[in-house]
Amino acid sequence: MEAVVGAETGSQNRNGEMDVSGAVKIPERLLRREQERQEEVERRREAMESQSVTEEKVDYFSSTFGAERAAIEALLSGVWDADSSRAAQLLEEVSSRTQQLRKFLNDSMAFLTKYECRQAQAALQRLQSSLDEKRQQVLPKKKFNFKARSAAATRTKGVPLPEKAGPLESKPDAKGGADVGIQVVDGGGNSCGFSSAHAQVLTKDPEDIHQRDVLLTHLTGCTVKLLGTPATLHIKDVRDSEVLCGPVSGSVFVDRCSGCTLAFPCQQLRTHNTTDTRVYLHVTSRAIVEDCSGVSFAPFSWSYEGMDAHFEASGLDRGKNNWDKVDDFNWLAADTPSPNWSIIPEAERRTTWD
Amino acid sequence: MGLLTILKKMKRKEREMRLLMLGLDNAGKTTIMKKFNGEDVSTISPTLGFNIKTLEHRGFKLNIWDVGGQKSLRSYWRNYFESTDGLVWVVDSADKLRLEDCRRELSALLLEERLAGATLLVFANKQDLPGALSKDAIREALALDDIKTHHWCIIGCSAMTGENLLTGVDWLLDDIAAQIFTAD
Repeated sequence: MEAVVGAETGSQNRNGEMDVSGAVKIPERLLRREQERQEEVERRREAMESQSVTEEKVDYFSSTFGAERAAIEALLSGVWDADSSRAAQLLEEVSSRTQQLRKFLNDSMAFLTKYECRQAQAALQRLQSSLDEKRQQVLPKKKFNFKARSAAATRTKGVPLPEKAGPLESKPDAKGGADVGIQVVDGGGNSCGFSSAHAQVLTKDPEDIHQRDVLLTHLTGCTVKLLGTPATLHIKDVRDSEVLCGPVSGSVFVDRCSGCTLAFPCQQLRTHNTTDTRVYLHVTSRAIVEDCSGVSFAPFSWSYEGMDAHFEASGLDRGKNNWDKVDDFNWLAADTPSPNWSIIPEAERRTTWD
Repeated sequence: MGLLTILKKMKRKEREMRLLMLGLDNAGKTTIMKKFNGEDVSTISPTLGFNIKTLEHRGFKLNIWDVGGQKSLRSYWRNYFESTDGLVWVVDSADKLRLEDCRRELSALLLEERLAGATLLVFANKQDLPGALSKDAIREALALDDIKTHHWCIIGCSAMTGENLLTGVDWLLDDIAAQIFTAD
């Protein structure tokens, strides 16, 4: 400020009788100062502006995010009233908008604080889970269907969901068990297995499952013996059951199980969303757990007649068992062991099976 | 345009490509990479993290990134998007239960801005398994025909036998080369 005043008074004083050289010299110095001053002002202004831009971005983000979230939630709640084809359409829209919202969050990550990020992520998570829930309720049937299996799929409709079946009176000795609720999935293609059974003893012979994909779903309180060599084994939504299986050439998937005892040799084991389950395992590559807790491991110790030949047929290496080398995808610290899985102490391991 | 020209020229000089290999867990990404590189594929474990391989093929230097596909790792995929020339999406053709998951993850990827210029190769893997779906069934299940934003191609292959791996990678190289290395 001073410089400006100085410059003005200076030029006024000299207004009348200034010589040429002076007129050039002094304003030059003053001009430089003036320029510096203006640059400083400019710099401050820019600093302030960028500050407000960040604020605007954050404001913009939270308002846009909030509005879109509310819109999606409204859409989702409308799913109830719609008929099934419309509902499918709505769900599709909800899922794509949720996806876009997630992308918007990802793109905005750079200028958000950690807290805001976490809040937004949590909100998205809630949205996604209520979407999944709605999808399960409204469209229990998978969109993608196989022609060969459509016969089996229509049969499913009459079968009560196991959640509902749970509290019902169990019929352990029902003779016509297969008619009551068990669905023997054998819908062509290469897959077979059992689904929706309660308190049953279920067995498959070698020729039924040899090099096929075996699928066990929605079983409670069952004992399943698979006396053969499947290509893959999927165990999904199984509770308080025992599953014993011969050598699996490829992968075993365990998903959403609890309170089970499992025993099998395999090439890879992938365990997801599973709690309180004991696995007697022979695995030639690795076992992993993800989103699990209370899963414990011991070496495979079950045996049945003809298992040695099945080991040969499966191509698994009997001499190599990595049952105790489990990777937990939710526990990436190398120095401390994961709390989600453990080894069954030798004294507590099961030795008799039949 | 000037910068793009310079970048293109630099890439042409290096003849280098970056391929990102993604897909659900157990699709066979690591197996494909190892088989392609002539390594042993019998002892592969689920990938915790990622693998990088640099290999020479047809005079190109290929940087192949193989990132784990477990659900908890998928949120990290985005860290690998930058400057990807080719996206290899690997599908376990025998895993019918998760095809819908597979379609959803892929369509989310294709919305990514940073993958906008990448060519998409879909490997319908595990064709050697008796229960595998054909590549046409996979194409339908993943709604590939709806993709208008990327060059894409689906190839049925088997990482265990190595069948068709070369065919797929060669197509990918040709398509990328046509985009990057053509006269500006």
